[in-house]
Amino acid sequence: MIPRKWKMYIKMYWVKLAIVAAILSVIVLAVVGLNSLESYYRNITLATMPVNLLMVALNAVIFVFMYMTFMKGGFSKLSNKLRVHGDFVDVKWSDVIGMENVKEEAMEVVQLIKDRARVKKIGGKILRGILMFGPPGCGKTYLAKAIATEAGMPFVSMSGSEFVEIFVGVGAARVRGLFKKARELAYGYGGCIIFIDELDAIARKRVFSAFGGTEETNSTQNQLLAEMDGLQEIKDKHGNPSPEQNVIVIGATNAPEDTIDRALRRPGRFDRIVYIEKPGLEDREKLFTYYLSKVEADKSLDVSRLARKAVYKSPADIENIVKEAALVATKNGRDKVILEDVSEAMERIDIGLKRKLKMTPHEREATACHEAGHAVVLYILHPTNDVFKISIIPRKDTLGVTYSQPKEELYSHTKDKLLADIKVDLAGYVSEKMRFGVTSTGVSGDFKDAMRIAHFMVWSLGMSDAGFLGDYTVIPESQISEDMKEKLNEETDKIFKQCIKEVEELLLKEKPILERLISELLSKEELEYDEVEAIFNEFGKTHIKSAW
Amino acid sequence: MVRTKKFLLLLIINYTLCAILCGCTSTYPGDKIRESIVKICKQEYKSDVLVETTGRTMVIYLPLSNLMDFSFALTKEASEKINDVIFSAARVALSTDARINFYCVIAHDIKMPELQIIIIKSVEDVKRLFANDISRGEYMKRMLIDLRWSPQAKKEQVVKEVFSRMNLDPKWQDQVMTDFFKSEPTSLGDIGYWDNKFYIKDITVPEFLAEQIANRVKLEFREGKILKETFLLKSARGVYILRKGKHLFRFDIFAERSTYGTAGTIEDSDKIFETVLSIAAHVIHGYHFKDYDGVEVFDQKEGRSIEVNPEELEAFRTKKLRLNEIGV
Repeated sequence: MIPRKWKMYIKMYWVKLAIVAAILSVIVLAVVGLNSLESYYRNITLATMPVNLLMVALNAVIFVFMYMTFMKGGFSKLSNKLRVHGDFVDVKWSDVIGMENVKEEAMEVVQLIKDRARVKKIGGKILRGILMFGPPGCGKTYLAKAIATEAGMPFVSMSGSEFVEIFVGVGAARVRGLFKKARELAYGYGGCIIFIDELDAIARKRVFSAFGGTEETNSTQNQLLAEMDGLQEIKDKHGNPSPEQNVIVIGATNAPEDTIDRALRRPGRFDRIVYIEKPGLEDREKLFTYYLSKVEADKSLDVSRLARKAVYKSPADIENIVKEAALVATKNGRDKVILEDVSEAMERIDIGLKRKLKMTPHEREATACHEAGHAVVLYILHPTNDVFKISIIPRKDTLGVTYSQPKEELYSHTKDKLLADIKVDLAGYVSEKMRFGVTSTGVSGDFKDAMRIAHFMVWSLGMSDAGFLGDYTVIPESQISEDMKEKLNEETDKIFKQCIKEVEELLLKEKPILERLISELLSKEELEYDEVEAIFNEFGKTHIKSAW
Repeated sequence: MVRTKKFLLLLIINYTLCAILCGCTSTYPGDKIRESIVKICKQEYKSDVLVETTGRTMVIYLPLSNLMDFSFALTKEASEKINDVIFSAARVALSTDARINFYCVIAHDIKMPELQIIIIKSVEDVKRLFANDISRGEYMKRMLIDLRWSPQAKKEQVVKEVFSRMNLDPKWQDQVMTDFFKSEPTSLGDIGYWDNKFYIKDITVPEFLAEQIANRVKLEFREGKILKETFLLKSARGVYILRKGKHLFRFDIFAERSTYGTAGTIEDSDKIFETVLSIAAHVIHGYHFKDYDGVEVFDQKEGRSIEVNPEELEAFRTKKLRLNEIGV
């Protein structure tokens, strides 16, 4: 009896096997034919064979080029999106770093996949699909590969966008092709994992319109639903569950959960939902240790300091920071990455590269005044953020920047924090007005942010003093009275003006610090964390921040 | 890219496999050349031949029943048989590990063995023809074909005539004959097959070239429009000799002047020199032959001669030097 794996290989690769057999036959015939020749003619034939092969190849290339150019509209038609390869990936569990919480959850999933028989025996429900939500660059694909490696199953991967075509039915056909390949692999290996990245491309909520505008996406998704359902029904001739049904679908997306169609999220399709978050402090430390081990880094480099500085950074961001730091170190003529290199790399990524823009003296002074205003209010009033850098060197589309970071991730924000954010935004404007009596276009971005926060506080968070509680944005606009809108907007305006007033008072009070910062900025152009800290300490200001 | 690499790898493997599996052994081992030719001629062309080798020369004797017709032309049957044998000899010479430079086919009519056709070919020429390095016309010119009275038959006739005319005791005739034939052939003209015995020598490149140049000169005088009208070539003989420590190609040309020719005697001689030197330069250059110190042409009719060294000959060939600049 032919072993199952051999049968699988024959089913999957019969075309390739036929081609190999044909090539081998041709080789044998060629050898026999050449052997029948006298040695001189044989030598001549062998000597001219490479040239002949080259000529044949050249002719073929010319023919294909002409054919594709004149008959088929170019080489773009050559690409075959439905080329699915089943591979054994080699991503070990230990390679997945920076997501300890999620790993535990994923390990449980792996155990469930491995112990299918036991789960079935006690009447449990077999896992069909896992849906991973999380921001980009957090290692969803990596985790899926680790799951495949741990479960000892082949891994078939496709991106959601690869199913999307302008032609109706193509996406559905690709879904069928993908599952067919996965079942073939499952037949041979006892199971297979399908990974669909950017699942939202085909899993968005279906729209049932009379015009059929989204028919293609609908049909692709319907096919996915049908295939995932169909997995449960395959049985062999003895009525036992066929190994072909052991196909687990892992989907990953960074779209919000509620954008995914409910049908996909119901049990029997994607049974398990895994939320992947950006790494915490400890995870960031591990990530920095891991990526720094791949470059020549100074041994005394304080990884915990780096981790504290890299709040809200994803694993991909941290990898990018380390790579950039290596480039910075090379640029600075060092053969090892030191703390300054990583800091510069982080700044490069966060606030952009320095631009050689020539400002007038007045523009420089206005910028210094603007940024110093931000810095004073941020340092003194803000409950969570630290001033890491003040700069009047143009970067991206700004003339200056006050670079701040929270000490730790915050998943919710207090009224104080939001008010502080508004005040920090408005400080640039107030500072400019106090010094010059007029303000510049540099306040545009700040005003936008401040107004957005104030509006959000009043309309959605019930944080106004007038007692308007509830989220007014969910009410259709036509159902809110003009009077109510006016009142709400008045409250927004009140917060805005109150914040300006408080900032004015603060900056007047702390004018010596403000002036000192302005002069320092004008002479040095950039002030680092330690320099900022020293100036404030000089004026008796200490830095006590808490998460709340 | 990966697919292209795989494809190229497959081609290389395929080619290497073919090369290895086919092996590099020769089809006709050097020690079985004679048997091989005899076998091929017998099995494939139903011809009985005898084969002898000496040095790097292979000689095949082909007896035929109807060599020539009434017009002294080769019969179709004889021509085909000779071609078959030449082809067989070429096959073996090309696919053997023995170093064969020349092969020679001697064919004669069994009813008249004194008249023989001798064909001499260079193996290198055959290879160059296969490699399209030379044209078929050039290849034909490089082949030496001679229909002649067997030199051995001539000698035997002379001895018999002497014994007959001088009434000498015939019991000594065989002894004299044996002594007479003891000496081995010294030139291409002595090669032949007589009385169940091969008279052969190892052909060298220079003597082959000398003979070929002489043959080409004959052809030129026979077919060249102006030469044909001006001269009547009586003889053209080419040899490669060693004289005073110098290796020379020497060509003796005897050409009668046609009665209606207008040119003077010296100019005629120059024309002969020009023709012979031009052919010699072309042939020697064609074979990349370097082992000679000069070419001498002797006009037997006028008793004038010219000798040129290899540099002058090359300059003459490339038209950088004219005949009057060489000095007669």
